[in-house]
Amino acid sequence: MKDKRNIANPMKTVNNQADSLVRGLIGRGKSNQGTARMLLILLAAFAFFTFLEPEIFLNPVNLSNIMIASPEIGVLSIAMMLAMLTGGIDLSIVAIANLSAITITTIYSELAAVEQEQATSLVLIIIILGLLVGVGAGLLNGFLISYVGIAPILATLGTMQIFNGIAIVWTGGKTLYGAPEQLSAMGKIGVLNVPVLFIAFVAIAIAVATFLNKSSLGRKTQLLGTNSVAATYSGINTKLVLMMTYVITGLLGGVAGILFLVRNPTSSADYGSSYVLLVIVVAVLGGTNPNGGFATVAGVVLATLALQTLASGFIAIRLSAYEYAIAQGSILILVMILDQLSTIRKRKKLPQKSLKVKTKEAAS
Amino acid sequence: MRNSIKLPFGSWSRLRGHNNEGILALVLFALVGTISYLNPVFFSFSTLFSTMRGSIVPLIFALGVLIVIISGGIDVSFAAIAIFSAYTTVKFLNDGAIDPGLLGITLIAVLFGLVLGFFNGLVISLFKLPTLIVTLGTQSLFKGILLAYIGSRYIANPPLSLDEVAKTNLVTIIGEDGRGAYLHVLVIPAIVLALLIAWMLKRTMFGRAVYAIGGDSEAARRAGFPVVRVQIFVYGLAGALAAIAGVMHVTLGRNANPQDLVGNELDVIAAVVLGGASVFGGRGSVLGTTLGVLIIQVINNSLILAGVPTAWQRAAVGILLIVGVGIQALSAKRKTHSRSTSSIASKVLED
Repeated sequence: MKDKRNIANPMKTVNNQADSLVRGLIGRGKSNQGTARMLLILLAAFAFFTFLEPEIFLNPVNLSNIMIASPEIGVLSIAMMLAMLTGGIDLSIVAIANLSAITITTIYSELAAVEQEQATSLVLIIIILGLLVGVGAGLLNGFLISYVGIAPILATLGTMQIFNGIAIVWTGGKTLYGAPEQLSAMGKIGVLNVPVLFIAFVAIAIAVATFLNKSSLGRKTQLLGTNSVAATYSGINTKLVLMMTYVITGLLGGVAGILFLVRNPTSSADYGSSYVLLVIVVAVLGGTNPNGGFATVAGVVLATLALQTLASGFIAIRLSAYEYAIAQGSILILVMILDQLSTIRKRKKLPQKSLKVKTKEAAS
Repeated sequence: MRNSIKLPFGSWSRLRGHNNEGILALVLFALVGTISYLNPVFFSFSTLFSTMRGSIVPLIFALGVLIVIISGGIDVSFAAIAIFSAYTTVKFLNDGAIDPGLLGITLIAVLFGLVLGFFNGLVISLFKLPTLIVTLGTQSLFKGILLAYIGSRYIANPPLSLDEVAKTNLVTIIGEDGRGAYLHVLVIPAIVLALLIAWMLKRTMFGRAVYAIGGDSEAARRAGFPVVRVQIFVYGLAGALAAIAGVMHVTLGRNANPQDLVGNELDVIAAVVLGGASVFGGRGSVLGTTLGVLIIQVINNSLILAGVPTAWQRAAVGILLIVGVGIQALSAKRKTHSRSTSSIASKVLED
């Protein structure tokens, strides 16, 4: 430190080294860890159940069931991941998805009652209306969180009740039939035995991943989650970015609502009410840091598939859904503990490593 | 910073209370007044007693959640703990044909609740994990163990002593029309528990430690509070309270259904938050929580008497919650604005 003139260049390299070290440790390291771990669990579960019950588990029906059940939970989990990326949470997404599904079903069935042909021709517009409901719900969440300043968990706890309440009022608590036939028809086709629903899921995941990593707003969202003060001082309009995150979360909720209808042509206010907490589990298992900053779409997708594989594998070896619940809870807690232990270990290692870098630099 | 408006009977801020208890009481009175005005049938002992009866289980749950929230955490496993403890106790007693009475049954259930709560506390405090995620995991774990290994069948005949309690009323008022208003005897333990927890939070070292840890756990540690031990105890206590609520739920419903309770956690949390507790920890009171529970009960049970269809209950609770926490958030913002320079400085230091 005494001799500043001579080490101008080495300083730079050390800086770069330290930079890449830190980035590798906290940035990629952590999120990749989640992805790698979920890939491992997915493959292990797949191998395990294939070994135990090859006939039942590898049956095309079973495999396509996994692929059909995954997308709705997967898309909701990706939405949850986006909210968690900014250090928040969105408890209202399942309610948003249901509201969007109910919007589509009601408008379509009312139009179809008057004139079937017109309803069929307007199906795209009706679906867009469903997505707009999601966007509107997201706007309300974003406004309450970003501009009013309510903690995300509270704001979305409240809006969950509001959206769910509106859905109950609208449907009268009944299950609605009569979703657009085109949607349910889509659920029945597949390309090379892969259901269209699953292809749509992968496409949505790729779109969100591209948005996060390539678009300006996506990068800003990541920075906001890592360090909101730094984001503010970098000239980012943090309030707007935070609000937009919840708008996109709401939009994905709307997309999930459409997926509900593709899988099942009915809609009701209480569909998937147990999903709220499940999608948090999936997001966290996929390597999302609940405090914000780190998350990957790939991790969440793999976590969704891993949990679905486990669920159907448990059925294949004739274990009950209750035993699956035990497995799910234990995996969540174990993964969290392992995560925490490895960060503690890394933190202990970090000063030593930087010391080594320093001594190397001094030697040269 | 202090924008107290002088009122003839003391300052506005004193009327409001530390956690807006005054405002909550006003909301409750306004709600009761409006419904009574729209429908005089509402204003009766019958409504009062049934609201109180309906509040017993949510209030005891809310007390446990309140302690956890004051300590800076959040617990979504309490409903699973409640039904686990109550169902397991009832099942074992039924299998052995033993009936130790309400107190004995509650004590056994509390033991289960303590064990499960301590498990939560151990995992959370030893590994310093986010409380929401851990309790999500344990919720799934406890419910899974209950249904897979203890029993998944509905028990229609809990021990007879519980049945006796279920039929006992503290006060019975028979009106002129012959319809009776019954105040259930179990409101006594609920009120006693609320007073005990209020005393514990305000007057004991443990209570002060809970507030201190919720306010700033690092500061509490440096001030000499045993943070890990207090945290474990907080979750143990929440587990014990949940178990008591579970036994009362079984008693009042006169059946034990292992599928009950789980799924309504967020409603209890909403009541506690509405009652002025801060999810960031360090703030909250038993009085506020009680008012929050009562307001939600009145909305759920009596809004229909004011001509509002039952379908609107959920939305009404949601709107009330958003308005409640919105006002809190805005007033907190105004406070930080007036001392913005210092808060930014401290934030920068924190990061």
